[in-house]
Parts: sequence; structure tokens; C-alpha cells
Amino acid sequence: MADAGRLEAIALRKEYPGTLALDDVSVAFEGGRVHALVGKNGAGKSTFIKILAGTVQPTSGQVLVDGRPVQLRSASDAFAQGIATVYQELSLVPGLTVAENILLGRLPQKGPLIDWARTFREAQSILDGMGVSIDARRIVRELGVAQKQVVEIAKAMSFNPTAVMLDEPTSALAQHETEMLFGIVRQLAAKGVVVIYITHRLHELRQIADTVTVLRDGRLAGRIEIADSTPEQIVHLMFGEVVKRRRPTHTVNQAKPVLEVEGLAKAGKFHDVSFSLRAGEVLGIAGMLGSGRTELLKAIFGAEPADSGEVRLGGKSILPASPSQMKDFGVALTPEDRKAEGLVQILSTRANLCLASLDRIAVRGFTTQARERAAVQTLVGGLAIKAPNLEDAVSALSGGNQQKVVVGKWLNTKPKVMLLDEPTRGIDVQAKQQIFEIIWSLSEQGIGSIIVSSELEELLEVCHRILIMRHGTIVGEASPEGMTADELTVRCMEDE
Amino acid sequence: MTKAGTILRRSMMEIILVLLCIALSFEASGFLTAENLLNVLRNVSMQGVIAFGMTMVIISGEIDLSVGSAVAFTGCLMARTVELMSGQLLHLSQTAAVVVAIPITIVAAVLVGMATGYLRVRFRVPTFISTLAWMTILKGAAELVTNGFPIQSFPEWFNFIGGGYVFGVPFPAIVFVLVFAIIHFVMNFTKFGRSVYAVGGNAEAARLSGIKVTRTKIVVMATVAGLCAVAGIMQASQIMSGAATSGVGWELDVIAAVIIGGTSLMGGAGRVWGTFVGVIFLGVLVNGMTLLNISEYWQHVVRGALILLAVLINVAPTAKSARESA
Repeated sequence: MADAGRLEAIALRKEYPGTLALDDVSVAFEGGRVHALVGKNGAGKSTFIKILAGTVQPTSGQVLVDGRPVQLRSASDAFAQGIATVYQELSLVPGLTVAENILLGRLPQKGPLIDWARTFREAQSILDGMGVSIDARRIVRELGVAQKQVVEIAKAMSFNPTAVMLDEPTSALAQHETEMLFGIVRQLAAKGVVVIYITHRLHELRQIADTVTVLRDGRLAGRIEIADSTPEQIVHLMFGEVVKRRRPTHTVNQAKPVLEVEGLAKAGKFHDVSFSLRAGEVLGIAGMLGSGRTELLKAIFGAEPADSGEVRLGGKSILPASPSQMKDFGVALTPEDRKAEGLVQILSTRANLCLASLDRIAVRGFTTQARERAAVQTLVGGLAIKAPNLEDAVSALSGGNQQKVVVGKWLNTKPKVMLLDEPTRGIDVQAKQQIFEIIWSLSEQGIGSIIVSSELEELLEVCHRILIMRHGTIVGEASPEGMTADELTVRCMEDE
Repeated sequence: MTKAGTILRRSMMEIILVLLCIALSFEASGFLTAENLLNVLRNVSMQGVIAFGMTMVIISGEIDLSVGSAVAFTGCLMARTVELMSGQLLHLSQTAAVVVAIPITIVAAVLVGMATGYLRVRFRVPTFISTLAWMTILKGAAELVTNGFPIQSFPEWFNFIGGGYVFGVPFPAIVFVLVFAIIHFVMNFTKFGRSVYAVGGNAEAARLSGIKVTRTKIVVMATVAGLCAVAGIMQASQIMSGAATSGVGWELDVIAAVIIGGTSLMGGAGRVWGTFVGVIFLGVLVNGMTLLNISEYWQHVVRGALILLAVLINVAPTAKSARESA
């Protein structure tokens, strides 16, 4: 092993108005090893990384590189101090060559001109040093996702960093590509570099990491050697004790199915999906990212129609062709991505709450602000939406209140089936409870809900029944009674 | 921001317009006369009619660069249709020919608009490109229809549409106010109008809310095209001929009026009333500069600079938030 570096965080603290994102986190990462950093959403993981990457300033605390304190005021400071970050959103310029991307902004020059020979030579030697066979003269656009990811890493390596942070580098990769990437990551560590590997794929930990550092609720929940740990131990560190359940006790076993799905398939996304949803039932779909769960909901909603299979609503077979048609049949969808798909950010809270029910609010196509306000008022009260002014842009609301708007816009359409994709993503604990309560009160009114979530402990809390989805199909069913999040996680990850 | 500040910001254009009018009534003799003001109104009314349609288009997140050529084409098509119908083809009276030609012209324009909308939603052809193509196609079509020479086929009474007065008010100005009222009503008080805002603000969110995005965009593009036909007919009536040289450069003035009126270039936000003010403002400005004997060359420079200024004001909040989030 070459000279091993060291990256240390001492009492890092970050306060945002109203929240404490990081609460005195102290942790040291030694070079020559791969350190996995895990934590559920809102655990403070991304704030921690951003501080080390120089894009967020801590309220207090210090960062040490090789024992000396450093000031990280910007991303370029961090690079200069030897901390390189590889983000999951690829930040390459597609039209340029690999070499230009690796040395972007620092192209070697010969007088006023670019020294192309040196550019390609230097880039190629970095790539060769990583043991990958990518031609530095190729155009980035022509590369596959995995190769692009490698170029990103090469770019980070061109700074000769002490530490490299990899932010979910495998989230877009196929299995064999992931293995190739792991090879490169191990080589980095072997050179004495501090490798911090951020992931939400717990099953990768054993393959790639030496240690696991877990953040929870802004604090360091623990750090363990991977060799001495069990998956349940890690999950327990991430989630803590499972919260108490307050699911409605009314039984739905005898209720009629409102939605039945049979043999639904869409090439490359999901196949052979069959299940049924009873009136008033809260059905969870547990599955990892990329298991086809989002696509399944969108297919049932007609937003991205399936290739084959049958959907029956109230016993009547229908062909989901478009969201507007499914809305008329009483199906509603709250999309995963609130910003991009759920809300029209520029419009007011009132307009967003009316978005799906304009047909009902308008009389023969005519509407007035007064009529819209009346339709919205009961929703705002019933859902406890905190909005200083309903006429202000919805983007001004907090994440939790925005999510209530996304759910709320459907309630005036008198739905029979609600499809909720990650309804609690990025919102605080209290707002989560409120969203659950909305779902339960819908359930008591006989509305069936399907909830997709990667936060498995939440599914256990909110659902009557949970389907387990893996690699595009439903592989089993679980009852939340007596099940722990750890067990459910293990069932979602089990490999075939 | 304080409440007074918000109101001030929202009504900035109205205030500037009033100040401009006050200044001109002192500085430019002949500005503050009923005759001159009605003249301003008549001069802006044809472009103004189109500007209301353009407001819908820009709010829906699209653009139409072909409006000037559409005016030329519809005027020529109108004249040619009247000529054919009253001449060798059908032997209709000129009046009957006009009555038949008006709906034909409007339908032709609407079909072009629908085609643009269809290309947009079905094949994702940006309207910036497709309407640029229509700009050339319609210009050529206007030349083809007229064989390059203005057609004078209209009966005398037809001049009323573009040049007549009702109780002293120019008829085109009445059409202008009427179209304003209709579009204002549609955008604020109909399900369709509210959908246009939603589609322009976030088409995917609108689609996933069960709004028919496809239909909305097609109808919007058809509306502006139809209004171009209305303006084209009025223009042909005013000059009593169908001329392929009509409407040159109108797209710039029309888009300028919409932007000056505060409609967001990004789509999703804007007011029809703002466009009304923007149209009047441009008309007053040109009229004032002419009365003050400012050379036409300078007028061009001033109008262009004004558009830049309006766009700067328009994008300023967006640019600020972009910097903050970066």
C-alpha cells in the first residue's frame, strides 16, 4: 500500500432554519479502505457529503485532510484540498472527447493553443492507470453509462486526490457493469486513497466496502467493520426501533376487489404482474429502486400503458390508455417526483389543488376563482395544509405541504383507487404521519390505496398487506403483523 | 415584499404607460386628441388581435413565429377566393363571395395552426422550428395565390371591416376589444384556460393530473392561427387588396407586446390584460415618436432596446433564483 491518506470530520454541525440537518458528527476515514456511508432519506447523508464537497458550509465543526484543517468554501476549494466527488448525476459534456472531459478547464496549453498531444496523453495515462480500456479520443456521447461513470472517476483522479467520494455510482448500472466499477474502486483504495462510497443498495455493502458508517437523524448512528456485521445489524442502525403502528383496525378481507390486475407486462420494465386490491385496503408494494414498481403504477394509471395484460375496475375490464381516461374511471396517481410530475411549481396552491378536478369544478367548462376557492377550502382544512396564502406559488410551501397538495388535488375527483408513488419522500416525520392519516381516512371511506415506497418500515406501519416486487415481478406477499423492517428488507433484496 | 410593493410591481407597465401618455400630451402637440387616440387604437388593433392569441401560445409554453406570414397568406387567400367565386368559377355576387370567403380563410388558417400543434405533440417538433418553417411556406403560398401581384377583388362595402367606423370608433378597434374580452374570459374563467396555464407550467404534471395536454396545445395553436386570419382579413379590407407584402415583421411586434405585458417566456404565467397594456404601450410609443418627428431609424432602435429591457425585467426573478439555487 502506498502512503495512506486520512479524511476526518470533527463535530460537523449544520443547522437550517427549523431543522438540524447534522448534529455534531465526528468520524475519521483512513486511506486504503472503502468506507460505505449509508442512511435513510433525511438522515443527513447528503448534507454531510455536500460539506465535504465544499458546496454547503457547516454551521460549526472542522474538516481535516491528512491531519491539517482545511477551509472548504467552494467545490474548487475541496478539489484543491484533495477531496474529489463523483456525483450520480453525470456532469460530463456529451459532445466533447473523454480527454477534454477529464481535463476540463485545465487543458494543457502550448502558448495560446491547446496542446492536444499532451491532453490525450495525460488523459490516457490516467485511464490506463485505472486499468480501464477507454480511448481518451472518443466522444463521451458514444460511451455507455458505466463507461461514463468511469470517466467521471478518472476526472476525479486527475486531481490526485487524498479522498474520493462516490455518490451512488451504481444506481444506473447493470450487474456486470457494477462489478467492473467495484474493481476500479478497489484499485483506488489499494493506492492509499480514502474512498467514501455512498449507497442505498445495502446488498452491495458486503461486495465492496470494508467499513460501514451509518447516519440517522443527523447523527452518527454507528460505524462497524463489514466483516463483523450482519445485514440486520446495519438495517437496525439505519432505522432504529420500528415506530408504533396505528393502522385502522377495520377488516377488509370481505370487501369486494375494486382493482384487479392480471398478467400485466411491459417490455424491459415488469412482467407477469397479478394482484387485486379490495375496497378500503391499503396495499404496499415493497421493492428496491429499479424493481419496476413506478412503471407498474404508471401503467395502471395509463400514463405509460402496459404492453399486455388485463386491468379490471369494479369487475369491469378496461384498457388503461391515458391518465384523463383513468381519472374518469376513478383512479388517481400521485407521482414519485413531486417537483417534475406532481405540481406545476409556478402556479398557486389553489390552482394546483384544482388541477385534477377542473372538470368537476367547472360548470359546462366555465369556472371562477370563487368557485375554485370554495372547492379548495375544504381540502386545505381537511388536510391541514399550511399555506400563508393560497394564491402564492405552490413552490413556496414546505415539502410536506406540497405533498399534501399532490394528494389533495385528487380528493375532489372522487377516486375509488389511489396509487401513491413514494408519498413520503423527503418530508419530515410529522408530515409523514399526516399523510398516513389521510390514507387511512380514505381507507375508512372505502377507497383502496396502493403505496410504493423504499422506506420499508413505513409500509409496515401503514399497509394492511405488502407485495414484494423484485426484478419487475411480484415475488411474494407479506403481512405487516409481526414483521420487522429488517426481515422485509432482506426479503426485498434476496437474490434469485 | 410589502403589499404596496407587490401592487406597484404588478402594475408597473400600467404606470409607465400613464406616465408616457402624460409626457406626450405635454411634449407632442396633437397627441391628446380624440382623433389621434382613436388612430392609435386602429393602428394597433390588427397586431393586437394576434397578440391575445400569442399570449395563450406563450403561456402554454410554445411560440408562433409565422403570424406575419399568416396575415399575408390569409389576406391573399381571401382576395383570391372572392375573385374566383365572383368571377369565372361560380358567378356569385361579390357580396356573396365575401361571405363565403371569410369562413374558408379562417378554416384554412386554423388547419395550419392545428397542424403545428399536432406536429408538436405527436412528433415533438418544437414550435420554434415548425412555425419558422410555416413563416416561409405561408409567405411563398401568399405569393403563389396572388401570382406576385396584389389582387383587388373586393366590393366597396368590404372596406368597412378594416377602415370603417361605428359611432366614430374604428371597427378594427372594436374587434380588438372584443377579442381581448373573449380571450381574457377564456383564460380566466374556463377549464380550458386554466389548463393552458397548467400545461405551460409543467406539461407532465398536467398530463398526470388527467388534463388533455395534446388537445390543449392543438387548440392553442389553432386559436392564434385563426386570429391571424381575422387580422389578415381586416388588413386586406383596409388596403382593399390581398397583398403578399402584408404583415412583414409582425411577429416581432406581437411577441414584443406579449413580453412587455409581463407574460413569462418560460410559459405558465401571464395575463391577457398585460398584453392589452403592452399592445397599447407600443402603439402610443410609435405614435409619440412619429409626432415628435423622431426618425424611423431611431424608432427601430428604441423599439428593439425596449424589447430587451422588457425581457430583462421578465427574466430577472428567474435568473435570481437560478443563482441562489446554484
